[in-house]
Amino acid sequence: MSTADPADAAGPAGRAGPEDGGLEGGIRRYAGAGSSCALRVAGNPGGIIFLADGGICGCQTPGAPGLEVILLRSGRLTEADWEAAFSSAAAGGRSLTEELVRRDLLGAGEAEALLRTALADAIFAVLAGRVDGWAEAAADCPMPLAPPARPGWLLGESIRRRQALAALAGPPVSPRDRVTAASPGAWRQAASWPDAGQLELLGLCNGRRTVRDLAFARGSGLYATLLELARLRDRGLVAIAADGAESVSPSRSSGIPSDAGESDRTVAGLPGRHADHASGTPRTGTAGRRYLAAGIQLLRPRSSGSALPGGHRDPPS
Amino acid sequence: MSSLQAALRQFLAVEGVRTATIIDMATGMIVRSVGKPDPDLPATAVCVADEARAVQDALGAGRSDGELVEIATVTGSRLQVSRILLGRPAPGLMLFVDLERGKSNLGLAGLQISQLAPAVLA
Repeated sequence: MSTADPADAAGPAGRAGPEDGGLEGGIRRYAGAGSSCALRVAGNPGGIIFLADGGICGCQTPGAPGLEVILLRSGRLTEADWEAAFSSAAAGGRSLTEELVRRDLLGAGEAEALLRTALADAIFAVLAGRVDGWAEAAADCPMPLAPPARPGWLLGESIRRRQALAALAGPPVSPRDRVTAASPGAWRQAASWPDAGQLELLGLCNGRRTVRDLAFARGSGLYATLLELARLRDRGLVAIAADGAESVSPSRSSGIPSDAGESDRTVAGLPGRHADHASGTPRTGTAGRRYLAAGIQLLRPRSSGSALPGGHRDPPS
Repeated sequence: MSSLQAALRQFLAVEGVRTATIIDMATGMIVRSVGKPDPDLPATAVCVADEARAVQDALGAGRSDGELVEIATVTGSRLQVSRILLGRPAPGLMLFVDLERGKSNLGLAGLQISQLAPAVLA
């Protein structure tokens, strides 16, 4: 049953609040009832959580990449293979997951493992954001996890992630923070040179992309991207500018910190945050690309001992 | 029972195995696990994932002698084998098998694990 007003819903739908356990409490109640339904979560990023027989079989949210983005952006599958499987599944009335396995594009165990990791990331993104309310909705899960995941595992994993992020040194990193790569000069000061994966990430950090954007661009999980960027920041390789909205912090008794904006921050009791600029001024995307190009030049072997253009020298081996 | 669980249960037939776990290397999250309950397993999974990523970073990408395949750790009471199962999406998924050292032989266990591993994600 779907309703425009979460308060009118016949089920245990409602608004987030410590008195009813928030969205986490709602999920537990639906799970305890053995429900099979979709819960549309209003908020930022919000999303839809799909339940099947009391387990969670899917979650769609703009806050974290789904399996399609992960498989295509990582290069695990080609677009042609994906499109062919999608069309065939639709025509044959099969689930897309079954079709990918049937075509030997993914193993059955691989599909399950990747669906579980994507689901955990999506649930984390929804719970770590702002939740304004939820209600049952009419929606079908496009790639259901079978068998469904236990809600206790997913909710516990979400709490673990928030605690892990809170334990990192420095200000909390939010999915909406914008990230800028430091200059190659700063890279030489780092304990070690960035590896290939980190260089790829640094190349995308143009000061306009948010942490969430970077996750989608690379086909990486939101939580994995938050971790990686926090580590790069600690090494002085990126600067992270607070965007002002939600930050990820350990859950309170309601399970979900509500963080609608700057004025709500102290009310929510979130850790204080401040901008983190390497140079004090935002760097434009064009300037960022110039710095990255200069950094890549440093990595190429030279035939002589002379300095590269721009006065840079090879990093220490 | 899921296909992952069924595949992981095959490892419990290896002499000395306590747990067999699939770990997401990017986050240290336990994707699936079978065997004896172990309250330390979540923390161990994070450490094992960190270790494997550190080794991959140290090795670098595209090396002519290949990518990281397996890490074997021996302690006073345990044998632990971490085997990379999937490289993409990077950094990938790994299989972590924890064995009682007194009941296991590292060489034999490593051989059996390598024989069972390909079926886990199939």
